[in-house]
Amino acid sequence: MDQMTTNVLLIEDNAGDADLVRLRLVEGQSPVKVNCVNRLSDGLASLTSETPSVVLLDLNLPDCRGAETFRRVMEHSPNVPVVVLSGQDDEALAMRAVHSGVQDYLVKNNLSSKHLERAIRYAVERQALLRSLEIAQKQQLEFKNQFLSHVSHELRTPLTCIHQYVTLLLDGISGPVTPDQADHLKTVLKSVNQLHAMIRDLLEATRAESGKMRIEPRCVALNELVQQAAAMLRPTAAEKGVGLEIGIDQTLPLIYADPDRVLEVMINLLDNAIKFTPADGAVMLQASKVDADPGAAYVSITDTGRGIGPEAKALIFERLYQDPESVDNNRSGLGLGLFICREIIRLHEGRIWVSSEPGQGSTFTFTLPVYSLAKLLAPVVTYQGGLRPSFVLLRLELTPIRNPPRGNWKETRQQCLEIVQRCVYLDKDLVLPPMGTSGTTETFFIVASTDLQRSGIMTTRIREQLERVPDLKTKCTVTITTVPVELASAGATVALPEQVQSVADCVTKMIMATRERQQVSAVKSKRDSN
Amino acid sequence: MRRPKILVVDDDPDLVRALRLRLRANNFEVATATDGYSAIAAAQKERPALIILDLGLPVGDGFVVLDRLQNSDALAGVPVIVLSARDPQANEERALKAGAAAFFQKPADNDELMNVIRVSLGPANAQPAPWPS
Repeated sequence: MDQMTTNVLLIEDNAGDADLVRLRLVEGQSPVKVNCVNRLSDGLASLTSETPSVVLLDLNLPDCRGAETFRRVMEHSPNVPVVVLSGQDDEALAMRAVHSGVQDYLVKNNLSSKHLERAIRYAVERQALLRSLEIAQKQQLEFKNQFLSHVSHELRTPLTCIHQYVTLLLDGISGPVTPDQADHLKTVLKSVNQLHAMIRDLLEATRAESGKMRIEPRCVALNELVQQAAAMLRPTAAEKGVGLEIGIDQTLPLIYADPDRVLEVMINLLDNAIKFTPADGAVMLQASKVDADPGAAYVSITDTGRGIGPEAKALIFERLYQDPESVDNNRSGLGLGLFICREIIRLHEGRIWVSSEPGQGSTFTFTLPVYSLAKLLAPVVTYQGGLRPSFVLLRLELTPIRNPPRGNWKETRQQCLEIVQRCVYLDKDLVLPPMGTSGTTETFFIVASTDLQRSGIMTTRIREQLERVPDLKTKCTVTITTVPVELASAGATVALPEQVQSVADCVTKMIMATRERQQVSAVKSKRDSN
Repeated sequence: MRRPKILVVDDDPDLVRALRLRLRANNFEVATATDGYSAIAAAQKERPALIILDLGLPVGDGFVVLDRLQNSDALAGVPVIVLSARDPQANEERALKAGAAAFFQKPADNDELMNVIRVSLGPANAQPAPWPS
């Protein structure tokens, strides 16, 4: 096609107006090809199949009116310039259009061909400029991230060398060291570790900024993480003479989170709290739930430090922020710790905030989502905005050959779970977190978005893999049953989250039924053996 | 008992020297190589019980070495511990898939590294060996 030809997609339902615009366009100096449709839906369909130079858009269409019209066009094709052609001279609407990214707003009845031609040419140029600016910004960000990732890699190499030789000396491998020398070496090692932490934070913050930070959520007991974090920071607190207490709630529901990342956040916040609390002060780490917010678990870290002023409070989670009040606290890092915490919590779809009054200590609080089957299932059972066509529930039973099992049965179960997780399609199937045991038989459930035939292939693979493992600590037999999941209320009229919920409900019902049957048969076999 | 031999592969000679000192102090014999090509040659000649492997190497990087080792009948069973400055998010899974037994990012914790070496070598070495006085 001739490069000079301007391809215009005209979305206009009034035949008279359409003819007028077409006439004005062909009267112009440069060659133009006009494709005219009279409904928004037809316009969007045309945009899907080919990209015009410009869209001329009426705001009074049979299937869409007003601001919604240009919003939908731009949402569909953000890179195509849009010029609104309106029957009315509405300054407010025109401003709204331009603010949302429309290139121009023209009124139909005072349209000359010269005027229209120029408007189109400028619209195309402006859009192209915007586009190249966006690309340049993206490239710049990418370059910066690559640079930081390269720098952090290069810094690690000499740091590793320093670390190795200092520890060789400290461990006495290079010969005996005097107590004074050992003390000096420990100071070097502390600085090496600080430097190492900074490099790690730098890379982590870069990852967060470029959307490459990942979490691997699982079904976790929050209380255990609280205890773990406190145990890790206890020596630091004791060294400084700061009390460290924990508060847990035994009725707390399981959460759905990446345990390593949550631990990282807790450790970071605890470390800060201890750092800013004077000797004889106290730090409290607490996990709790709030009745008004049943979908979340709350973790708070409270200290008796000097508190945070309102200005610092507003900025404290920002990248590279350093509290000017805390400069006396020798070397305090890059100011990335809280930013990384915020990003980790954000990836968990939780919230993080601080409440504090100067002189009164501070409380950092964050929330984590409570484990919900529907939420877990959503990414594997949906595809392109709809529900996948069919599901099956696989029940995998592991029974030890000897009863009671020999060796470490708990370890065997964990090993089997990991094997099963490696056998499924990560984006289509979900191995549910283990749900306790019935006697010595361990049951795993897998929700698979595949038909019966494919899930048959998967079960064969799982069985093969489990049987092939030579070093399973306890030998066991594997039974796999497959049941198709029936959907009661799935249909186009029901919103997607509700459809997912109904899959989750159905799966839960089936699992509960299985477990009841197992318990009944366990009781029965016990009675029989008596 | 014969001391197990460990092959250390890294292009930084200073780091190789430090690792050699530490491993010897932990009762291991040590062989070394500083590029991918000589790593393979050393593995064939020395028959180490375990290999510590850097990823960024001249003349065939760590992944090439892993691939060669996996495709050699004589060497496929030798556990390889990757010790690299590279980002684990991009390299750990790839290294484990290519046959590595473990991935450590530099600088690694010495105690953890020694533990994984002993576990990889099998039950006979699971207990920390006493240091020479």
